[in-house]
Amino acid sequence: MSRINTKFGKELKRYGAVDFNKCYNCGTCTAVCSLSTGEDSFPRSMVRLSETGDKKGVESSLKPWLCYYCGDCSVNCPQTADPGELMMSLRRWLTAKYDWTGLSGLFHRSGLANIIAMILVAVGVIVYSFTQSFDQEGIMHFAHLFEMYAIATVFAVILLPNIIRMWYMTVVKPGYKVPFKAYYKSAGELFVHMFTQKRSLGCDDNQARWFAHFVLVIGYLTLLFTTVFLDWFSNESIFVNLLGYAVSAVVFIVTFVFVLGRIKQKHQVSKKSRPSDWFFVIWLFLMGVTAFFVKVFIDLEILENNFWLFLLHFTILVQWAVIIVPFGKWTHFLYRSFAMYFDKLRKSVPAESAKK
Amino acid sequence: MQKEPITLTYDAIVIGGGIAGGEAALNLANNGYKVVLVESRLSVGGKMIMLSKVFPTLDCSACITTPKVSEISRHPNIKIFTESDITSIDKLGEQSFVVKMTQRPRYVVAEDCTACQLCEQACPVIVKDQFQYGLVGRKAVYIPFSIASPKVAAIDIDNCTLCGACEKVCPPGCIDFTMKPKEYIFNVKTAIVATGFRLYDPTNVPRYSYGTAKNVITSIQMERLLAPTRPFHTILRSSDGKVPDKIAYVLCAGSRDDSMGNPICSQICCMYSIKQAQLLLGALPMADITIYYIDIRAFGKGYDEFYEQAVSMGVRFVKGKIGKITEKENGNLTLRYEDVATGKLKEAEHDMVVLSVGVKPNKEAADLFKSHKLELDGLSFVKQSDPLLSPAKTSIDGVFVAGAATGPKDIPDSILSAGAASTEAISYLNQKSQ
Ligand SMILES: Cc1cc2nc3c(=O)[nH]c(=O)nc-3n(C[C@H](O)[C@H](O)[C@H](O)COP(=O)(O)OP(=O)(O)OC[C@H]3O[C@@H](n4cnc5c(N)ncnc54)[C@H](O)[C@@H]3O)c2cc1C
Ligand code: SF4
Ligand code: SF4
Ligand code: SF4
Ligand code: SF4
Repeated sequence: MSRINTKFGKELKRYGAVDFNKCYNCGTCTAVCSLSTGEDSFPRSMVRLSETGDKKGVESSLKPWLCYYCGDCSVNCPQTADPGELMMSLRRWLTAKYDWTGLSGLFHRSGLANIIAMILVAVGVIVYSFTQSFDQEGIMHFAHLFEMYAIATVFAVILLPNIIRMWYMTVVKPGYKVPFKAYYKSAGELFVHMFTQKRSLGCDDNQARWFAHFVLVIGYLTLLFTTVFLDWFSNESIFVNLLGYAVSAVVFIVTFVFVLGRIKQKHQVSKKSRPSDWFFVIWLFLMGVTAFFVKVFIDLEILENNFWLFLLHFTILVQWAVIIVPFGKWTHFLYRSFAMYFDKLRKSVPAESAKK
Repeated sequence: MQKEPITLTYDAIVIGGGIAGGEAALNLANNGYKVVLVESRLSVGGKMIMLSKVFPTLDCSACITTPKVSEISRHPNIKIFTESDITSIDKLGEQSFVVKMTQRPRYVVAEDCTACQLCEQACPVIVKDQFQYGLVGRKAVYIPFSIASPKVAAIDIDNCTLCGACEKVCPPGCIDFTMKPKEYIFNVKTAIVATGFRLYDPTNVPRYSYGTAKNVITSIQMERLLAPTRPFHTILRSSDGKVPDKIAYVLCAGSRDDSMGNPICSQICCMYSIKQAQLLLGALPMADITIYYIDIRAFGKGYDEFYEQAVSMGVRFVKGKIGKITEKENGNLTLRYEDVATGKLKEAEHDMVVLSVGVKPNKEAADLFKSHKLELDGLSFVKQSDPLLSPAKTSIDGVFVAGAATGPKDIPDSILSAGAASTEAISYLNQKSQ
């Protein structure tokens, strides 16, 4: 039985989508989308589910993750219903749905909540440093440990349960009986997508954007690796030192270019940036820059007199680790990769046995 | 250059010689008023005279337009000026308008030309024929089309090389390269604007490949292919002469689409596409005709039945607006669309694609009026100041509007509105003169 649920539309509006009710179902968006296929046709199908308020349909759908927001559909929509922005909002909504803590939803909807959380974290770092009487060695050591534990905890307590919830909503609940073998047979898909986001290459004239993304992902992961596992700040090896400099520079330069793009609003994608989009790029940028200069200061042996810089870097790091990574846009990157994986799993089930 | 403009007096001026302007002029003339009809092209008849058959009756368009046109041109109360541009219209007071007009030279003495076409045969210059919408070529000296009125040759001086070949062969010697533009001043009491519409230019939508893919044509080109006076006497792809057997119609091409710059429904394209599909099945009984649509809008009397008739003849209707048209090496076209009924993205191959182009306003009408402002609506069609009760009234008292100048209209509606405009004009003439 189908019933129109107009409340869902109102809910979605809080995640950014405002115009999708103008849609008159012409299918142009699907026809111009270079990622849409006969098997996975979108975005009109998602516009339809949103218009009618079919929450279950949206919840179990992986299509929002197949879209890379090139904006072609929005540019060509006869009704200016902005289907691309709807897809983006659905990703935000799904992120909120997968997250058991409910914080993702809050941060996606409200800029204020983001700011309050950021301030609280900053205050926390300052209070902690105060109790340590701003002892440089102790705080730097703690910061290093914190990074490792934070990564482990965020992953175990938040991201992993959320991915399991996503799996439940998109694979188990809709009734796909995926054979066990398929799980490891498709695992390769997961990693390839995670590192390359290769699907977005299918977008027309998107090669440059894809490459920038790819460089950023690799840069970010390498920076994480150099600071956490190679302990860049205290490492003496020339190679590690240079690597650290290089990757932190890559991270802040590429993010700078992205921020410029958002400000100029050149691409359709950037026309409707939300607070969470801004936080993501700006913090990535700040992380890169501060890491770079902390290391410069260490190497010039002037960090002692400029310890505020390290505290700034540490604050940004904590904000990134406890707010943006578990609840912000970073998760999109994770869910996207898993969506490809789950999609492959669902397709491994013969059509007749997959119950609708 | 002529020294003094020729000054003439009429009761009414009708601007635009399409079916609406023609009908309005005839109504006025039959009621005893003297009318001057000004047409900017070489022939009167507007779009209608170029059509094949007309929905929903499938009457031959030429066969019903030509008698009407000849009635207008022979009427003692009507004076027609073709190839003429109005430069200004000033209202001095009620029932007093002054119109300035320039008639461009044809370089052929109209009264003497017998339409023997010898000049066409002699002329060495070939250019695209605008009256056949670029499907074929014509000469620099040419008779606009076989049922043109007046049926008189004209020289397209921009493309003419002044070789004089036509002049040598013309039996009555009516070619005159020294002709100059002629200036006129008309004193009239009322005016009817019947400037019609423009067709949407599909080169605005690069993803439809019009102009780059050879076998993507517009609906008006298809009208020409189907018309009794058609250029090839059969339906074929003008690029390679192949008779098409899988033809697609793309509805709402440049209508109901903000991204294409025209948000409104053009009202006629669903119906003329259905008409063309039926005519095509008559001409090519084995062909597959598919109409890709968003909605089928068949609102008039007998229109829905006309649509049902097409369905029962085997025309395929697919809900989904075409997103992209790509040309294949053999000239066939791949159409990408979402089959909205199943929700699946699909691709289909056709050997000919017809874009059912929409209706756009002819903004020029407003520029003609100098002393008073002829208001346009939000989409730049002539604004009706009282669309419900006096649909022919404009923002200027004594100026009325007929036909597609106010927005998309089919022929029955254009004729009706011409009736309304001429009636309003007559009561304006009577009321105020007492
Ligand atoms: C492909 C196609 C198929 C169609 N098929 C059908 C059908 O089957 N049945 C049906 O009912 N309708 C059909 N129509 C619609 C029909 O063409 C219109 O309803 C009709 O032409 C409107 O007549 P009009 O006189 O208002 O405008 P037009 O036909 O546009 O005539 C306007 C005239 O004014 C002249 N003009 C413009 N500006 C000036 C100026 N400034 N000074 C002097 N003259 C000027 C123009 O040159 C033109 O001759 C079809 C239309 C198209 C495009
Ligand atoms: S292009 Fe726009 S109007 Fe058409 S189906 Fe997509 S969202 Fe709806
Ligand atoms: S934004 Fe691009 S990828 Fe996403 S649905 Fe629209 S056209 Fe497809
Ligand atoms: S201009 Fe002369 S040659 Fe040409 S059609 Fe007229 S009469 Fe014939
Ligand atoms: S008449 Fe039909 S094809 Fe034309 S704009 Fe309206 S809906 Fe589209």
